Amino acid sequence: MSTVADEMRCWPAWAGIGLRSPHVAEIIATRPAIPWLEVHAENYMAGGPALGRLLGIRRDYPVSIHGVGLSLGSAEGPDPSHLRRLESLIHQLEPCLVSEHLSWSVFGGVYLNHLLPLPYTEETLDRVSEHVIVVQDRLGRQVLIENPSSYLRFRSSTIPEPELLAELVQRTGCGLLFDVNNLYVNSRNFDFDPDPYLDALPAAHVGEIHLAGHAVNDADGREILIDDHGSRVAEPVWRLYTRALERLGPVPTLVEWDTDVPILDVLLDEAHTADRLLGTAKDGGWHARAA
Amino acid sequence: MLALRDLQSAFSRALLEGADELLAGEIADDGLTGASRLQIYRTHVFTTLTDVLKDAYPVVCRLVDERFFAYAADHFIRRHLPGSPCLLEYGAAVPEFLAAFPPCQDLAYLPDVARLEWAMNRAAHAEDAPAIDPAALGDLSADDAGRLVLQFHPSLSLLESPWPVDHIWRAHQPGADPAVPVDLAAGGACLEVCRRHDDVTFRRLDPATHALRTALWRGATLESAALAALARDPALDLAAALHALLDEGIVTGFDVPPSQRR
Repeated sequence: MSTVADEMRCWPAWAGIGLRSPHVAEIIATRPAIPWLEVHAENYMAGGPALGRLLGIRRDYPVSIHGVGLSLGSAEGPDPSHLRRLESLIHQLEPCLVSEHLSWSVFGGVYLNHLLPLPYTEETLDRVSEHVIVVQDRLGRQVLIENPSSYLRFRSSTIPEPELLAELVQRTGCGLLFDVNNLYVNSRNFDFDPDPYLDALPAAHVGEIHLAGHAVNDADGREILIDDHGSRVAEPVWRLYTRALERLGPVPTLVEWDTDVPILDVLLDEAHTADRLLGTAKDGGWHARAA
Repeated sequence: MLALRDLQSAFSRALLEGADELLAGEIADDGLTGASRLQIYRTHVFTTLTDVLKDAYPVVCRLVDERFFAYAADHFIRRHLPGSPCLLEYGAAVPEFLAAFPPCQDLAYLPDVARLEWAMNRAAHAEDAPAIDPAALGDLSADDAGRLVLQFHPSLSLLESPWPVDHIWRAHQPGADPAVPVDLAAGGACLEVCRRHDDVTFRRLDPATHALRTALWRGATLESAALAALARDPALDLAAALHALLDEGIVTGFDVPPSQRR
């Protein structure tokens, strides 16, 4: 299987935005200059007019498919019927990238609508590796796996997250989608320094970066950051993103916004900020990924 | 330490049933109790699924107000958890749930308003299908015509209510004048819902035409659909009703099954 670096030759290292339904008509009407768009797979699996409009957009923009429902971390494995629907969507849309999460959301056939945390154990690594291989074989292509945001850790966890992700890459040939906001949120929720995490990520296999806003909540007197994708990217997350680009090189970046979705221009403005930092990464001669 | 399958079983029971004790000893404290950490997940699961239902049933939500809707949604979610991550398809059971939900018994029209909203959701996401040319049915013999069955556009639904659910729906759209009351005694409505181009619309049909289309839509032969329609109104002009149906562009196929008679 090819590495992310191979696939990225046809992929712009600029900042795109998540395509959300309130913006679809405007994008079709005005065709704004956006390097690429990403959609949530599950919003288009019903087909119908929504998929028809997306296929029209796809003619003018590279589109990436980001799944939220495959539940790669479920002990029971991905639901074959859901995988078939994903395969059918990919067949129709011919996306540039396909990504999913290091998490689980299905138990006993019930979908819990949350990217739920996994214990980082050998058993989890074995199960997730098996499931990623099943999915990649079925889809006939590489999938990027995203580091999740989290609000709890299991006592049984023995493998640090970046090491688990690196091992997953080794075993399955998958790539990584590095969510900077998720790392920041987790570093605050569990009081750790995010920089050693950055150093431990297998840089050559990071094919995409996600950026998003988070909320700061109070839980029983303790500050908890919630990954709600409901605001602009926070200042410390931009700083962490800059450090990530220094280590990873200019990786295609996506701005996500899912709660209280603002007007399109706000998303484009966030993407332009990311572009400026990506431009610096290119000009600055950071060649982490070529090394 | 629980195996992964057991951990996920315990976690989902903790989220849905509050059985946090099943995870005792599994969650690291990290300065906040396991129960408080689980509550963050539980809140997300229920509020996001409630939002999905609110998006699918905005008029029901306005009729009962947001607080009551969230209360009813909480009960609904516990009884009807999503079986798929495709949440556009989640909530089909809401009308039946509301019909049986004791706190809603005074709002007899609520389940039918919900049925109308679900029919509109279905119509919005249904696949497209080309209409047949009415001329294709022109050379059927009278005998064949009786056995004719039709296929309809996937966005089509027909529903009938003893309440004026169309008036109720319109009166609860954003921007509707709240001072204009809905006359609940105005009688029922026979409605046809479908998508035309990209717009989901509904309209009233006269009861006999509605009976004809409903029977055909459910797969009845033209002969038995005609009997159902004429039972509703013996004065129905059947030929005109059929022409109108074919001209509307919602019939997408037809079939004449072989005669059962020798």
